[in-house]
Amino acid sequence: MNKRSDQSIWLALSPLYSVGLGLIASGLMMLLLKHNPIEAFAQLFGYAFRDIYNIADIFAKATPLILTGLAFGFAFRATLFNIGAQGQFYMGAIAAVFLALKLGSLPAILLLPLCMIASVVAGAAWGALVGLCKSKFNANEFLISMMSNYVAIAIMNFLVRGPLKEAKGEYPQTDVIPESAWIRSLIPGTRFHWGFLVALAAALLAYVILWRTSLGFKIRAVGMNRSAARYAGIDEKRIFVIVFAISAGFAGLAGFMEVNGIQHMLVQGFNPMLGSEGIGIAILGNAHPLGIVLSGLLFGALKVGGNLLTQTTTIPSSIIGIMEGFVMLFVVLSYFVQNKVILAQRKRSLAKGEEEA
Amino acid sequence: MMMITGLLARALQMSTPLLLGALAEVFVERTGVMNMAIEGIFLMGAWGGFVGAYLTKNLFWGLMLAMAVGVAIGAVYAYITVRLKQHQIVTGVALNILSAGISVYLYRVLFGVPIIPLTVDSLRRIPIPLLSRIPILGPALFNQNILTYLALVLMPVGYWVLFKTRLGLVVRSTGANPEAVDAAGINVERTQFLAVLASSALDGLAGAFYSIGFLGMFSDDIIGGRGWIAFAICFLGNWNPIGALVGGLVFGLADSLAVLLQTSGIRIVPNELLIAVPYILTIIATIARKQFNVPACLGVPYVKERS
Repeated sequence: MNKRSDQSIWLALSPLYSVGLGLIASGLMMLLLKHNPIEAFAQLFGYAFRDIYNIADIFAKATPLILTGLAFGFAFRATLFNIGAQGQFYMGAIAAVFLALKLGSLPAILLLPLCMIASVVAGAAWGALVGLCKSKFNANEFLISMMSNYVAIAIMNFLVRGPLKEAKGEYPQTDVIPESAWIRSLIPGTRFHWGFLVALAAALLAYVILWRTSLGFKIRAVGMNRSAARYAGIDEKRIFVIVFAISAGFAGLAGFMEVNGIQHMLVQGFNPMLGSEGIGIAILGNAHPLGIVLSGLLFGALKVGGNLLTQTTTIPSSIIGIMEGFVMLFVVLSYFVQNKVILAQRKRSLAKGEEEA
Repeated sequence: MMMITGLLARALQMSTPLLLGALAEVFVERTGVMNMAIEGIFLMGAWGGFVGAYLTKNLFWGLMLAMAVGVAIGAVYAYITVRLKQHQIVTGVALNILSAGISVYLYRVLFGVPIIPLTVDSLRRIPIPLLSRIPILGPALFNQNILTYLALVLMPVGYWVLFKTRLGLVVRSTGANPEAVDAAGINVERTQFLAVLASSALDGLAGAFYSIGFLGMFSDDIIGGRGWIAFAICFLGNWNPIGALVGGLVFGLADSLAVLLQTSGIRIVPNELLIAVPYILTIIATIARKQFNVPACLGVPYVKERS
């Protein structure tokens, strides 16, 4: 009995091994540039936790990451693949910046919630289209959501170079939004803003929907066995649209966080990896909201430390992508090991049962 | 007339990597495995093609290196998905992110931060005697580089191999009924593994087309989802090389029409939106496509029964 709980602790820690192995592998890449990886990582984490500003920045960076992680993870629970978080994020950002610029005279107490709702609605609508294609035409949601990213990028590029371009007309970006539309800092002087708490609330919401409502039960049933769910009278086509709308709503909310919380404007092509990072975070967090929050914080720390590392040394910023990629790869490998361990356990307990009988 | 020739020539150019990638995907998916690392392999192929050509001053070694890095990524993908039977989409996404990081990183390792982008001469056009003199069509069809000819030849050859040879039969049966293939004494895992490697080599070549086929340089956004379009063409073409040929040509034509409109100065639609044409076309085609002939065990890892 005791031994078994020992093993489950080992299993629960497996994401940590994956992260460790992923960092070791990226450390090997640093050797190519003749950098000591141990020193580099010491520097990276040293920077990330150096002072209150940087620690606060981890939370600021984690905020949109948690949301795009939720976007992939939520759909993944229904075995649906929402690869379109990047585009949904841009749609949310466009909606937020549009309202903030056009309704700038409104007081913050009205403007902020409006921007937030608009970003969620814009993201959800863009994503619901993918769900609709899936349910109406039985189209492959992986491909459609993937392609919807490129369409969203084109729309954003068009807007920031045309109708929404800054008044100066110099760069492909919008004007700065009025201060009443900025999300306030939680700790003055840092970028740690209220949005992080909203992201936590979003994670809680995802958990409640999935595990505490009948809708969530249906979503997970569709995810586990589509034909069984259909047989049980669950309208899977409706579930497809709902799941995509909710999932994309999270990604859209990330747009609000970045525009109103950090950038205070919309810059062409900003945060181009947020969508794929979200996938990595969701996988690392086992598509569970709590796991996603923790993985989001880890990726946030890697980004804060990684950015400073690449600014102060000759290590290029692409090392951050390499770290994320290797970590993901080792997470996938750890699934294999986990399944092996669980299978061996079952076999052993079966064999024991036979002996006793 | 000149315009039509230019349009067709460009269409064939644009469709070349899509044809190679789609054909690779047709073969691997016929064995029941989706090569979801395709976008990353395209990118690494573009990187390998450029680096090989730049360092050796010889485009041939560029193409070889492109295939080699393609196979390297393919081997990792095949090991995880075929051998360890892990999730294909998730593994593919991980490798794509990794490829994006590694290609840019290694470019930097090799070349530092050049002030002006490094370039190589791209693959030369090889006019085919007599045929290239045919008015209008000649210069478009018969004055292309070696990869374009290769792609056009490989499509019918691929069809013949897939449907008329024993090898093709094994490939098709592996995806349709792996148990039967296993019972016939053919190693399912090995067939799938080799198919992933072969498709990755071809994907690497396709990627190299973007760097040394016509641009003569490498950048991190050089592929920009074209690998996924090739992936889509495979299934829009119903897992058939001839279908993939038609799909690839349509996409090439759409792409070159969009470029023509962008450069013509006629502003019906903003240029930023014209860039989205191939992606929108993929969405429409994915929705419109109805009758599918999906390999029965596509994406389902084959686990051998043990008694």
